[in-house]
Amino acid sequence: MNSPYIAAHGLGKSFSGKPVLADVSFTVEPGDVVGVLGKNGAGKTTLLELVLGFTPATAGGVQLFGYDSYRLPGAAKARVGFVPQQDELVNQLTAADQIGVISSFYPKWDDTLVGRLSQEWEVDLTQRVKNMSVGQRQKLSILLGLGHRPDVLILDEPVASLDPVARRQFLEQIIEVAADGNRSVVFSSHIVSDVERLANKIWILKDRRMFWQGDFDSLKDSIVRLHARSTRPLPASLEIPNALSVQRDGTIATAIVQGWSPDMHDGLARQLDAELEIEQLTLEEIFLELHR
Amino acid sequence: MVHYFTNAVGRCRRLFILKPHSGMPIYRQLLEQIRRMAASGQLPPGTELPSIRELALKHAINPMTVSKVYTLLEAEGVLERNRGKPMTIATPERTQAPLANRLEQLEPHVEQVALAAQQLELTEKDVVKALHNAWEKNDEQPVHRRTRPR
Repeated sequence: MNSPYIAAHGLGKSFSGKPVLADVSFTVEPGDVVGVLGKNGAGKTTLLELVLGFTPATAGGVQLFGYDSYRLPGAAKARVGFVPQQDELVNQLTAADQIGVISSFYPKWDDTLVGRLSQEWEVDLTQRVKNMSVGQRQKLSILLGLGHRPDVLILDEPVASLDPVARRQFLEQIIEVAADGNRSVVFSSHIVSDVERLANKIWILKDRRMFWQGDFDSLKDSIVRLHARSTRPLPASLEIPNALSVQRDGTIATAIVQGWSPDMHDGLARQLDAELEIEQLTLEEIFLELHR
Repeated sequence: MVHYFTNAVGRCRRLFILKPHSGMPIYRQLLEQIRRMAASGQLPPGTELPSIRELALKHAINPMTVSKVYTLLEAEGVLERNRGKPMTIATPERTQAPLANRLEQLEPHVEQVALAAQQLELTEKDVVKALHNAWEKNDEQPVHRRTRPR
């Protein structure tokens, strides 16, 4: 069993006594692709910055490759790639010069990969950063995060400004990283359909805490919308186990149920004296339901 | 998004239809499609499946999802892993359901026999003996192996 690349325990961060993230624990194993979801202000960026060691934790800690991420040795830093939400490109440089500056920090920079991707992604290397569109800047920023073939790639809203074609090209590149099996990706995104395609693990941050985390397939299997139809009026207080919400209207009720499994169906149908219909939810619907 | 691939002789073209933005997890969509196509004979034994990487890239889905499906189907006996070669649809002998599933199918019949035997006040030994005789008798007759639909 490989040891996890990232391990956080009781991680928390406060700014002047005001908590922005509290009591978060998780691990990221080699090969994991983690999708981080949360409303604006839920703490996604803070979480990623803590993992990267850009800021010290005020509670608990996070280890990257077995080291305290805030005191990461240089060799371990070279194994991490980061694509920030706001790019940190230098306006005066051309794309080629920008790549040159960043690549000089990394002994194992892959010129071939960056050259090929900049062609495929139509990034004009002669253009100055200040003349680039937002999408072009984002592509360049992603190239800079990928160029040294990091073992852990962390991306904060990497595709917000990309068109659908560029987004798909980006996704393919992440798949290439994941197909390696020994590299991990952690990415936050509001584009739920991308998370749906790529992630094998999901973290949902809510109110500065880890609200749900786990295997994506089990999330989709376990949270369902349940429709109950009875011939008689349903009781005002419906006893539905693990219901996140219940709406009742006479003989019909709808509930969002967490931890659902098909073997609960018959028992509950008898108990409610109702016909049940189970509707599976998309990730977007799950996300919305969890935020009601 | 469809995915075409060819079998060993390059004749049949098949496709998967995966909808990531659906309530059903992607792994289950793929799992059930391969299972169905193998069961119906649409994917005949020996059909080569795309590599994990190839399928993941084609559909823009996580390679682990594909890997999980292949592993589950291999355990079920639907797929065969071949060293250094693509996974293939297993030959019918190998597509036998796991023991637990087959026993489950037998259960109602056994319950019937047990119930009848108790009502007739037969002993367990009597029943085992009767079952043994029936088994032997069946064995003398030519056995038709389950054939797959064309």
